[in-house]
Amino acid sequence: MTLLTDHMISLVVAVPILGIIMLAFVRDQEWTRRIAFGSTMVELGLVIILCLRFDFTQQDMQFVERMAWMPTFNIQYAVGIDGISILMVLLTALLCPLAILCSWNSITTRVRAFMSLILLVESAMIVVFTALDLFLFFMLWELTMIPMYFMIILWGGPNRSAAGIKFVLYSLTGSLLLLVGILGLYLQGGHTYDLLALTEHTFSATTQFWLFISFFLAFAIKMPMVPFHTWLPDAHSEAPTAGSVILAGVLLKMGGYGFLRFCLPMFPEASAMFAPYILWLSVFAIVYGGYMALAQTDLKKLVAYSSVSHMGFVTLGIFVFNSQGIQGAILQMFNHGLTTGALFISIGQLYDRTHSRNIADYGGLHKPMPKFVALFFLFSVAAFGLPGTCNFIGEFLVLVGTSYTSFAMVLLSMGGIVLAAAYMLWMVQKVAMGEPNTKAAATLPDLSNRELATVIPLAILVLWIGLYPGPLMEMMDASVTNLVNHMDSITLAQVARNVYVP
Amino acid sequence: MSIFILIPLLPLFASLAIGLGGRRCHEYGHRIGIPAISLSFGLSIWAFIEVLNNGPVSLDLYRLIESGSLVIDLNMYIDQLTVLLLLLVTGVSSVVHVYSSRYMIGDPHFNRFFAVIALFTASMLMLVMSNNLLMLLICWEVMGICSYLLISHSRQRPSACRAATKAFLVNAVADVGLSFGIILTFFTFGTLDIQVILSQAEGMQNHTVNVLGWIGLDLPIYPVPLIPFFLFIGAMGKSAQMPFHVWLPFAMEAPTPVSALIHAATMVNAGPFLLIRLSPLLVLSPYAMTFIAVIGGLTALFAAIVSLTQTDIKKILAYSTISQIGFMIMTCGLGAFVVAIFHLLAHGCYKAFFFLSTGNILQAVEPSHPHKHVAHQKSPGMLTLYVGALLLACIPPIILFSGPYEHMWSVTGFASAKLGFWIIGLITVFVTSAYLFRSIMSLFIHGPKTHWPNTGIHTLDNHTIQPQFINGPILSGLILTTIVLGGMLGLFWSWFTNFLTPALSLTGLPSQEGLLMMNFSTWILVPLAVACMGWAYAYKMHTQPRQPSPGVNRWTTSLYVLFWNKLYFDEIYDAYIVAPSLRFAHWLWQTIDVRGIDRAIHGIASSSLLLAHWLWRIVDIKGIDRIVIGIGQRSIGLGRWLSQMVDIRWLEQNINQVGKQADAAGQALQDVEPHTIQHQLLVMILWLVLATVILYILV
Repeated sequence: MTLLTDHMISLVVAVPILGIIMLAFVRDQEWTRRIAFGSTMVELGLVIILCLRFDFTQQDMQFVERMAWMPTFNIQYAVGIDGISILMVLLTALLCPLAILCSWNSITTRVRAFMSLILLVESAMIVVFTALDLFLFFMLWELTMIPMYFMIILWGGPNRSAAGIKFVLYSLTGSLLLLVGILGLYLQGGHTYDLLALTEHTFSATTQFWLFISFFLAFAIKMPMVPFHTWLPDAHSEAPTAGSVILAGVLLKMGGYGFLRFCLPMFPEASAMFAPYILWLSVFAIVYGGYMALAQTDLKKLVAYSSVSHMGFVTLGIFVFNSQGIQGAILQMFNHGLTTGALFISIGQLYDRTHSRNIADYGGLHKPMPKFVALFFLFSVAAFGLPGTCNFIGEFLVLVGTSYTSFAMVLLSMGGIVLAAAYMLWMVQKVAMGEPNTKAAATLPDLSNRELATVIPLAILVLWIGLYPGPLMEMMDASVTNLVNHMDSITLAQVARNVYVP
Repeated sequence: MSIFILIPLLPLFASLAIGLGGRRCHEYGHRIGIPAISLSFGLSIWAFIEVLNNGPVSLDLYRLIESGSLVIDLNMYIDQLTVLLLLLVTGVSSVVHVYSSRYMIGDPHFNRFFAVIALFTASMLMLVMSNNLLMLLICWEVMGICSYLLISHSRQRPSACRAATKAFLVNAVADVGLSFGIILTFFTFGTLDIQVILSQAEGMQNHTVNVLGWIGLDLPIYPVPLIPFFLFIGAMGKSAQMPFHVWLPFAMEAPTPVSALIHAATMVNAGPFLLIRLSPLLVLSPYAMTFIAVIGGLTALFAAIVSLTQTDIKKILAYSTISQIGFMIMTCGLGAFVVAIFHLLAHGCYKAFFFLSTGNILQAVEPSHPHKHVAHQKSPGMLTLYVGALLLACIPPIILFSGPYEHMWSVTGFASAKLGFWIIGLITVFVTSAYLFRSIMSLFIHGPKTHWPNTGIHTLDNHTIQPQFINGPILSGLILTTIVLGGMLGLFWSWFTNFLTPALSLTGLPSQEGLLMMNFSTWILVPLAVACMGWAYAYKMHTQPRQPSPGVNRWTTSLYVLFWNKLYFDEIYDAYIVAPSLRFAHWLWQTIDVRGIDRAIHGIASSSLLLAHWLWRIVDIKGIDRIVIGIGQRSIGLGRWLSQMVDIRWLEQNINQVGKQADAAGQALQDVEPHTIQHQLLVMILWLVLATVILYILV
């Protein structure tokens, strides 16, 4: 028993791998799905146990495990979890069972491979969020890309190969920069890949400048921030539903997590120096993403562009360096995973029925599919941050945090929220309201029990977090406070000295 | 007295029960909704008595957010202002519930309707009870989404859905102001607790904030006088004030009881309520007060004139609501908050009554007898409508000429303000009474001209199972209440003021004089006379069929057309805001995303392909291949030369073979190189994995 409790995280990482191994011995498709689903549920259970055993009052890494991996290069297998990463791990574990559930009937070819890829990416993402060793982090960061690539090109839509190549090219560029950054850290930071040691290390201003740029670009591509976002709509729209859910729900968060784990604590001065530009870029992303979404005629692209806008809130919150902003950003990441995941699942349910992602092909769904429309409406209003749903809490916190920096940014970001309300409500109006526009539309079946089981947990979470975010806030409070104090102690003097361009 | 928490929770639970029950409850949604809301009403009366005897009650709920210095505790505060609104909201809402339980029979979404109106009521109740600006914002928005659901109640009608989206979006724009005001409030006061803010407001008046501090510049502003501006922008949206008023007439797409709820009890009342609740903060900002008064006055006048020109009874009522709310806002802007509350309560009662009786009449008139009027001349509803119109027309004048205004006019310091508002007031009174009576008369003589849905519930088949409306007892109950309430308030004006004074924490107001103590003849006779003139004018216009009289010149006609088209607000918004944003969005997407970024990326990709191709031709084919071939040829030459020396044939064979192999290898290379990037990437990934494995083994 102590063996298990001492290696809690390794266990969490191992469960999906065990699932893959089990899948290797199963031929039956139905059993393949059941085993995959079962192992993600076991995973979820384990992560919940992990959350319960987690000590919220502590700011340090918990459940730390260290093992030498390649001693010559000082590379180790080191994992641990703190208040920031635990939410990301929880989100991963939450979304993966749903991703499997939503592809239960829609994936009929090469089921085993598909399920294995989902399990593989789940395991890899959990390591990314818990890695305490940069080399391990980089390896698994790369590994998450490969299953996604295969999911897109093997089970995707009509333009899948172009979308897949675009995704991989962007990601590879990002990871190349990340590799450069990590090697730079290794060389400048006393020849270690240990995250905690590197966080304590103080780098010179020039080093910080260059390393920050390379890390920032890598994470900005993953996020994605605005000039680097064009892979996202293509990848999202061509990926199968489960792929979109994992991509939007969890993979994008690796970027935000990277900012919080690397950029802020390791390069505080460079972060403070670049912050005004990044903040304006974020505000631009919020408004620009909103406008982009307004112009879309493809459901999945619309949601993808809305993700660009939402991720703008995340970077906005992170780079204001106060606890409201950062907590808001983390919550926003979590909530965006829930709502966007839910929207992609809903769109997938529509796609399964009609094989169209075009908004103009829908209309009047309220009549044949009332349950679907009720849930779809809930997720849409949650996506534009209606107070009382989860996204509002995150956005409100980010805006409060931003108000310490600039009121202009707050006002412009609110304009982005208005745009979000506009495109979401227009989407709902065109898809759900009015008369069914074709005869076929009037006879679409409503959600089956399994489909309901996929989205209802998300609906409950959306409302629960919107009305009672206390537990989540508490989970990350100590770690975020620690991070903010760390930033403050280093950068306050620095910020005061410099005069920035707005 | 934590039992008062049940006042909003009962309708909330009812809503959940009905909503989750779905179609399983058949048409029994009202059996859950009505008892819940009636109990709330009972509890509100209890709360009223409690507050009357023991003063304000506060209830702590739970901690919503705790993040650094931002701590938000949700709590409720029931004071004199709140209990009055609780009574109004629960009272009107229970009447609307009972009324709709008959009105909505046969509707395919009977239960959904009840679930949403219960949620609507619950959020309004929560809003008036909330002691925290964030909680207020949450309820504010939930109310907005409920109105969206109710306006689009008949989902199959595209116009209803458009109206719903429009209502929500107009409110969303205005809510930017409210949210920003709330963030500014937190930034200034460090808390969102309303009572704390109000108590600190006076001391913080000279507090400055440097808004450009983060870039090292110095631009101090006084946030306390600024906050009311932003909060008022939110109120303008919800209360349909001037630039944001466009949604309310469209909200008439909702079933009639909903209009009663929106116009009388919830939604539009939230704006004045917010202003009254934050009155101690408001009075610190004279400019904001002036702004509020001007917007309110303009709206009152504009909407009244517009409604005079409309021909659709529901539109007329909508504009009349805008106008009346404009009055309340103007009153708030003048600082006479007590009067505003009085008007709010009175208007709520009368408007509810008016809408419900309109619904009665419309339903009686419309489906079966579209053009007959004789049969309805003696309809009992007609009398009730006349009474309602008279009452509605006379509230503003009574208020307008009552004591507190006189005081406030002198407070705001504009000598002309008094005259200006008198004139606005009198014009509005005249117009109000004119349009109300005109609409009622034309309703009975021409039949209603409202766009009633042709589909769904109102078809003839369904109509046969609709009960004829005998909600008489309810309506007469309502009218009695309002008359009694009005009379009581009129008689006990000073009592009313004294009751409210602690809630408003007004300072510097002299002892409020009762209405009866004022100059009786002035305050009642002038507006009443004006109202009667309006009535007479309406009657005259109505009985004399309109002819193109020579007195009407082009100017008046164009003015009439202008107001008939509501000053083209909708068209202007569509043409200059909505359509351009959509076009801009499309242009932006095409230009920057598709043509800009994507093309740049493609350019990089294709140029690297070109480079690869060039490298392949220059270096591989022309360079290395040629060298190899050259070497081959040389060696062949050498071989030939050697062959003359040695065994020519044997050597020749061998060398040729080598040359062929080199050629084949070159061919194979050529085949490999221009393959898709896909393979290269796979090779790259494979290489990466291999490299790691090798690294691991080596180390």
